[in-house]
Amino acid sequence: MEGLRFDDIGLPRAAEALRAEVRAFLAEHLPATALPDSDFNHGHDAKFSAALGQRGFIGMTWPKQYGGGERSFFERYVVTEELLAAGAPVSAHWIADRQSGPLLLRYGTDAQRAKYLPAITRGECYFSIGMSEPDSGSDLASVRTSAKAVDGGYVVNGTKVWTTDAHRNHFIIALVRTETVADNRHAGLSQLIIDLHGTGVSVRPIRNLAGDEDFNEVVFTDCFVPAEQVVGKPGNGWEQVTSELSYERSGPERFLSAFRVLVEFVRAVGPTPTDHQAAVIGRLAAHLMTLRQMSISVAGMLQAGTSPAIEAALVKALGNDFEKELPEVVRLAAPHLADDHRFRATLAQTLLHMPSFTLRGGTREILRGVIARGLGLR
Amino acid sequence: MDTSQLVLDTAERMFGDHCDKTLLDRAEQGHFPAALWGIVAENGLPQLATAAGGGTLADAFRLLRVAGRFAVPLPLAEALIANHLMAGTNCGTFDGRVTLGIADSHSAEGGEVNVELATVPWARACERVCYVIGDPLEVILLDVADCDLRTHANIAGEARDAVRFLGVPTRCGAPPAVTVTRVFEWMALSRAALMSGALERVLALSLDYAKTRKQFGRQIGAFQAIQHNLALLAGQVAAALRATDAAIAALDSPRFAVQVAVAKSRVGEAAGSASEIAHQTHGAMGFTHEHQLHHFTRRLLAWRDEYGRESYWQQRIGRQIAQGGADALWDFVVGR
Repeated sequence: MEGLRFDDIGLPRAAEALRAEVRAFLAEHLPATALPDSDFNHGHDAKFSAALGQRGFIGMTWPKQYGGGERSFFERYVVTEELLAAGAPVSAHWIADRQSGPLLLRYGTDAQRAKYLPAITRGECYFSIGMSEPDSGSDLASVRTSAKAVDGGYVVNGTKVWTTDAHRNHFIIALVRTETVADNRHAGLSQLIIDLHGTGVSVRPIRNLAGDEDFNEVVFTDCFVPAEQVVGKPGNGWEQVTSELSYERSGPERFLSAFRVLVEFVRAVGPTPTDHQAAVIGRLAAHLMTLRQMSISVAGMLQAGTSPAIEAALVKALGNDFEKELPEVVRLAAPHLADDHRFRATLAQTLLHMPSFTLRGGTREILRGVIARGLGLR
Repeated sequence: MDTSQLVLDTAERMFGDHCDKTLLDRAEQGHFPAALWGIVAENGLPQLATAAGGGTLADAFRLLRVAGRFAVPLPLAEALIANHLMAGTNCGTFDGRVTLGIADSHSAEGGEVNVELATVPWARACERVCYVIGDPLEVILLDVADCDLRTHANIAGEARDAVRFLGVPTRCGAPPAVTVTRVFEWMALSRAALMSGALERVLALSLDYAKTRKQFGRQIGAFQAIQHNLALLAGQVAAALRATDAAIAALDSPRFAVQVAVAKSRVGEAAGSASEIAHQTHGAMGFTHEHQLHHFTRRLLAWRDEYGRESYWQQRIGRQIAQGGADALWDFVVGR
């Protein structure tokens, strides 16, 4: 059945061999933090990203011509999962590496690729996603940020929200309306690369419930964007944003966000768990290992050049539910510990960020709709 | 197309042609489907995982997944593993109806053994019961005619008989490099494979029902609430298939014990939630005996309990992780 095919794909030896290299890299470069966090949004560290770039761990699958490594999706997989499992601060380059770069490779002009990709692979150029707006969340086609064609480019007006790291990143790829087409709301959308520090762009932090100021509101006021900043064909934006989703939805960051909580639970419980604690650990490990196998299977499909949108949605839907369930079940099985105990502190940090797990990158409800479509129900 | 795929396709056709509701109902009333066994045996399926059968142990588990799709009411898993074991001993494979048990203990004195096996699939209809005991592993073959037999069935109506034997059995010896733990793991994987197939069928039945049943003037599958439930069901099925396939792929690897534990516990969990969603989707129709859904859901509920419930396997994984310590958890996950 379409969407249910997760072929048996083991990581090739070359990819496994990379694991030791990543760990050696981490031993040298991982900054000492009180509480490592496997959430990919956690930790914006330009120095760390630059070191990763230097080591060839960003843009790994891209052509050498643009600074890439021409390595397989499996090799990239090993690097990303090792970074997340260790709780490395990866948020700076994450979006550029995961989806902006691949988007430019697929739809961008030669000039755009030459300009941005090498800088991304060096870990020096960071991108934000410009999709959501105050009135456009899951209903992405309703975006209202407008780009009016003028001599030599566009004038952009509108507001993007929940823009992670817009205040620290360099560019945003904004989904904008370049045209209003009667009876087809998916037509007339375009993607523009916009300098987050340019004229006509203002970035205002939005504090989240955990007290962080990671995401932002980005307001464009008569912001001039040169025509060469359009990604792909004007009007083709809908197809392009949906093509990003297989990359965005199937990776290990969709089920590893709470991983460090499990690590600290195992530490807190020690070598002789109760039956219940052992079952909790075993159950979560079984889920995690199965999700990882499914995710690697999707990496295999990406490697083979297919666009497994349904499978990716399935991995994200299952994975997000898993990373939300994990903290809840270990909380109830944990021994009594003081609030400042490492386990309690890690748990608290994750509990406060957990609401976002099933929102970012497509809500649980949207994903279930995508899966239902794959099942022929809509 | 390779040979094993050919075998699976043949089996799929064979089961599809013969395992209808009438046959399942009769089997669940305790009548052994001898004609079906005859066809299965004629095609050499019980000997698939032997040199003569031309297949591997992995093929046997793939075959069981196909059998699960049709709720095949035969001791097929037992015959496959029994023959695989006996093929490596001085007994050789058994051509007739053979089933399998794992003994916790037996007493042996002189040439005689005294053994009780609690839940042996279709012992009443078989000619031989093969049982294993260890360690070191020993494979022993009993003639059912010499056994005391008490019939019993699980909640799916599958024959699970109690067998008592006191006498001189056929001692087969032991196949090389197999432990009783390994046999138990194979049997656990057999249940994961059967459940995977049944889960595929439960999803297919639910989708079919959601696309044909109409309420409020439209097919119920058009309602978002139903769509979301079915998306959840599909996720459980996909995870179960992946976990089972991963364990099958690990048959010859040192990770096999871990992968079986992952598969049996993960698939067992999927069995429960998938059955629940399938029944909710089918409404009262699926609660009737007349509907075929329960042949699959009741088996899912039974099979998840056989050869170790989810909690058993979860604890096995959990203890191993706890022993290794927190900083080795990730290595455990990636299999390093």
